[in-house]
Amino acid sequence: MKKKSRISSVAAPVVSFLLIFFIWEMACVVNEIPAWFLPKPTEIFKSMVVDFPEFWPHILVTLEVVLIGFLIAIPVGLTIATLVTSSPLLNAAMSPYITFLVTTPLISLIPLLMLMMGYGLNMRITTVVIQSFAVINMNACTGFNNVPVIRKELMQSMGASPVKTFVKMTLPSAATDIFTGLRLAAIFATTTCISVEYSAGNTGLGSQIIKYSQYLKTTQSFACIFYVTIIGLIMYSLISIAQKKIVSWKE
Amino acid sequence: MANKVFSVKEISKSFGSEKNGNYMEVIKNISMDIYEKEFIVILGNSGCGKSTYLKILGGIESATTGSMELNGENIGACIPPEKLKKFGFVFQNNNLLPWRTAEGNLRIMLKIMKLKGEQWEKRIDEMLEIVGLLDYKKVYPHELSGGMKQRVGIARALVHDPDILILDQPLGALDAITRKMLSYELLNIWKKTQKTIVMVTNNVDEAILLANRIFVLSNKPAVITHEIEVDIPVEERNTMIGQNARYNELREQINNIIRATR
Repeated sequence: MKKKSRISSVAAPVVSFLLIFFIWEMACVVNEIPAWFLPKPTEIFKSMVVDFPEFWPHILVTLEVVLIGFLIAIPVGLTIATLVTSSPLLNAAMSPYITFLVTTPLISLIPLLMLMMGYGLNMRITTVVIQSFAVINMNACTGFNNVPVIRKELMQSMGASPVKTFVKMTLPSAATDIFTGLRLAAIFATTTCISVEYSAGNTGLGSQIIKYSQYLKTTQSFACIFYVTIIGLIMYSLISIAQKKIVSWKE
Repeated sequence: MANKVFSVKEISKSFGSEKNGNYMEVIKNISMDIYEKEFIVILGNSGCGKSTYLKILGGIESATTGSMELNGENIGACIPPEKLKKFGFVFQNNNLLPWRTAEGNLRIMLKIMKLKGEQWEKRIDEMLEIVGLLDYKKVYPHELSGGMKQRVGIARALVHDPDILILDQPLGALDAITRKMLSYELLNIWKKTQKTIVMVTNNVDEAILLANRIFVLSNKPAVITHEIEVDIPVEERNTMIGQNARYNELREQINNIIRATR
């Protein structure tokens, strides 16, 4: 039974994936839709392979910005969350700004950041950090604030220091919420990076999507979009795997 | 009587302030001398402040006024961190850390109290053996039943070899059958470990089965209304205790007191 369900959990998405692309392909062929309007999936996949040397440097740029930004956002978000939740006063003073950062569409800040920092990697990474640290921070704050009082009492009854209490009890108690934040942040990081590339500079997958669609090379444009999707998926699944490895217990 | 291990002198605890109109006195002038190897049970209705009192004894809260004395040394209104090693606290709903195995839940106690070495590693096994869970040492809490979790909780409170074991309604969250079985087991643990025990409960039968002395608390603010000596010899405390004449006498007496408690 278990084996059967595992097979179907792998087979079902593969079948639906193939089915959707088949319908798309057939729709293009039957209706004779021109490639500049909507390319056939087979052409997009072909372009992903054939034009790969052309895409590769841009894939690297996007990957670099997303990964560096995300990796900086994790310690920043967690540190701020730790500080903020350690005192009720700080918590009250800071929480509106965290909410502002999460709810303000970062795209609106991009022209300003461009003005201050130019088009380079620094500006892109900064934008990604600002956007993704806020989500990590918000979810970590939820996790830290929801630590059961009775567990704090347990640590008190043992005479644990604040640092030990944090490492041995608070962090694991909040782990599930922290991972929720990380997963959202990974998505935010990719989205933000592409948005920045749309408007700043001529490197990165985002800039290529714009460039190809301006030349009506919709097939190449789609190929770049698919590469963005792949980057997002890889980030998402890496975090899910890490969560399964680290948070292996049930509450 | 044996040595006085711990004594509580006129402890009171209140929350809030009169100025804000949320002042509440929870416990009032409680004094109590606890002797070595004694089993003290504190009985009271729910919400009377008995858990608050126990948290003061366990170093989780500090008293508003009053002081405590441990082995003749005055330690003030709050147990200082370095003295916490002398106490082991058992929580009402086991309070195990779900990411640690049974063994790991005991080990964290030793780690935080900085007790290292072969003899303490061995003690983890010994304590799990005493509560009958040595075979489950690698098992995570979610795989254990409620009674088993609470037994791990008791083993954890014993692993650092404290002088005084403090139990906050340790059987309160269990079903009736498990509760009964575990109360006999507590008796055995007390006999085997020879610890001084202070336990809070709202169950009269449990109190008489286990206690040397029972303190009955009034409702808020809690004061001690009665102190009852349970003079049933340890040998006669077993599953047959229900047929003991003295047991039934005490039971009637205490039930009357509880009923009259306001």
